[in-house]
Amino acid sequence: MSSRNTFIGAVEIGTSKITALIAEHNGHELAIIGLGQCASQGVIKGAVVDFKAASDCTHSALQQAEKEAGERMDMVFLAQTGGHLEGFYNEAVVNVKSSDNMIDQDDVQMVCELARSKELPVGRSVVHHIRRPFRVDGRLIPASPDNLVGQKLEVGYWTVHGQEQRLADNLNMIRGFNLDVNELVLASLASGYMVTNPEERQHGVLAIDIGAGTTDFVLYRDAAPFMTGVLPVGGSHLTNDLSIGLRLTPMQAEKLKLRFGRANVQAKDKAEKVWLDGNFAIGDRQFPRLAIEQITAARVRELLESVKKKLGHAFSPETCSAGVVLTGGTAKLAGITEVATGVFGVPAHLGEAPRWVSEHLRDPSYHTALGLLYYGLRSRAEAFPPVRRGSGFIDAFKRLFANS
Amino acid sequence: MAPTWRDIAQPMKTHAMSKGGRRRRWRVGFRQVSLGLFFLGMAWGIWMIVLALQPDSPHRPQLVKDVPIRAPELKTTRDGVLDDAWLGRMLALPVGISLMELDLEKLRERLLGEGQVLTASLTRQFPDRLIVHITERAPVARVRVGSAVASRDWLVARDGVLFLGAGYSVALLESMPWLGGIAVVPAGRGFRPIARMDVVARLLADAQFAAESIYRMWQVVSLARLDSDNEIEVTMKDSTTVVFGAKGGFFVQLSNLDYMMERLARLPRAKARIDLSLGREVPVMVEPLGANDAKKIPLPSTAASFFNVRINSSSKNQREL
Repeated sequence: MSSRNTFIGAVEIGTSKITALIAEHNGHELAIIGLGQCASQGVIKGAVVDFKAASDCTHSALQQAEKEAGERMDMVFLAQTGGHLEGFYNEAVVNVKSSDNMIDQDDVQMVCELARSKELPVGRSVVHHIRRPFRVDGRLIPASPDNLVGQKLEVGYWTVHGQEQRLADNLNMIRGFNLDVNELVLASLASGYMVTNPEERQHGVLAIDIGAGTTDFVLYRDAAPFMTGVLPVGGSHLTNDLSIGLRLTPMQAEKLKLRFGRANVQAKDKAEKVWLDGNFAIGDRQFPRLAIEQITAARVRELLESVKKKLGHAFSPETCSAGVVLTGGTAKLAGITEVATGVFGVPAHLGEAPRWVSEHLRDPSYHTALGLLYYGLRSRAEAFPPVRRGSGFIDAFKRLFANS
Repeated sequence: MAPTWRDIAQPMKTHAMSKGGRRRRWRVGFRQVSLGLFFLGMAWGIWMIVLALQPDSPHRPQLVKDVPIRAPELKTTRDGVLDDAWLGRMLALPVGISLMELDLEKLRERLLGEGQVLTASLTRQFPDRLIVHITERAPVARVRVGSAVASRDWLVARDGVLFLGAGYSVALLESMPWLGGIAVVPAGRGFRPIARMDVVARLLADAQFAAESIYRMWQVVSLARLDSDNEIEVTMKDSTTVVFGAKGGFFVQLSNLDYMMERLARLPRAKARIDLSLGREVPVMVEPLGANDAKKIPLPSTAASFFNVRINSSSKNQREL
């Protein structure tokens, strides 16, 4: 393999499992060459509560991925989720400086800095500044406004911020593997980038990633993320409700959810029963199917309505004509698209990875890790414009001493 | 500007590392230390070279081309007679020449041009020594070449090569018989090797080994009939002529000669001719002494008498050699 290739790791620290992918990037193409997974421990609702346990699981997944790839990671992109993440919108307007009203780079830079300059409460750190399209005298400019003529230049940023300690916990876990986190990407942006296409994003689409502990969503408008959010509710809450409602252990409830759970009620006969294990062993017992479906359906509807409520006025069927795309492990629940259609009033469908993604990575639970690689690379390219990689002795010397 | 996640420090804390992380850290550390040492070594090497290149630096090693060669050393075979002085004359190296300036092949050819040298190898031993290993030819006979006005004595080796010879004692030279009955053919600065000299050399060696007293009396060894009759004719200092068969069996012939010489010693004679080439039949021709001598010793009626001695291999008279 070429020594000029970069090996990028994508790590998603989820509530139910930790996923690590390794991709080889040659500057133009990305090839996924390794996958590592580990059942998550010490993580609740996307937040680390037991550093040692979570760290061991993460490192195990990283080692597994490196072993499968046969290469060492050069950099890591990390997915960030959790209920501590919040977002706000801030915009700025500047009058174009030049006498001929032609917008130049200074105007653009100034308006962007102004829009991003809002202070945060103490202990909060910015995770993303997501720029919305520019406006010149109210006219929407999807690309750069450079050299356009106008009097007023406007731009708005959706700023996502989180608790510094929570962010540091995740960063330190990766650092414990002697790797630096090069990109921190909101999980919703990563998965949303993977399950939506540019056309959908142009027309407006809502991508909802329902994981085990959290539900991340991103609303796209005019080809850019318009709003993001995280709800600390996910598939594990369905399990928890079943556990309480039917007096089961969490493991038994999880098993019932996976086998009989639905996002809408289909059972008509109250007397219809289902077996817990179905092997008629001691301890195996029956439960009314209707009760299972009622519990899971109620929670799913509540979850989707919470998303809609959090979106508020930002969401309307008119501005989201491409509908709703559902992804994440809980999105595999039967009937969930019908419920989402009902809740949001727009067509909903399950998100699918692009065709070029290999079969064993097409499961919705890998969408975030996959999206991390692609979104991370894109945002990194924007943040650090590519420079010609030196081929001289000094550059080679620097690369030799590069960490890892 | 609000702080971003990039402002959060990512410190390396050993206690927060897993086993895999520590292993990874050690590997990276080892690699960096190794590379550091490698580059330090390279830097040190470059520094030493730079120091050495300074004209007045004490670190500067003496370059081989700046070191004049010492007198070449000769290592010859055990019985060789050549010495360092001869070698110095032969090589005639310019004063102050360095080892790397020598053309060893040319020097070797110059040495081999001397017939006395059979093989030669020259070795550079840095910084300033030239070692020359040679094996010498051993002379077995002498030959005088030239006209009546100017002639020169050459030595002949076992392989027939003629050479002038250097370093031999006069006694050794005088102990060697002359070669006769040959026509030397000039070739280059010398002469072509004498054909079938190996046979003659074997005869001389056998004689020297088995009958040294007789050998000392040999004066001329003639090869005139070697090719035609396969015979070698030896003329002794007392004018006795001995004919050897060149087919071999020199020990037997020398034994017969010894026996015949004993018998002839009792006869008054001027010359004798002993033909050993016929095997056990040894014809001997004896010429009588002059008139004055004849008075003293009774002579046969003829001018020259012939007798034929049949030597029995079981004869008690035959000397065991």
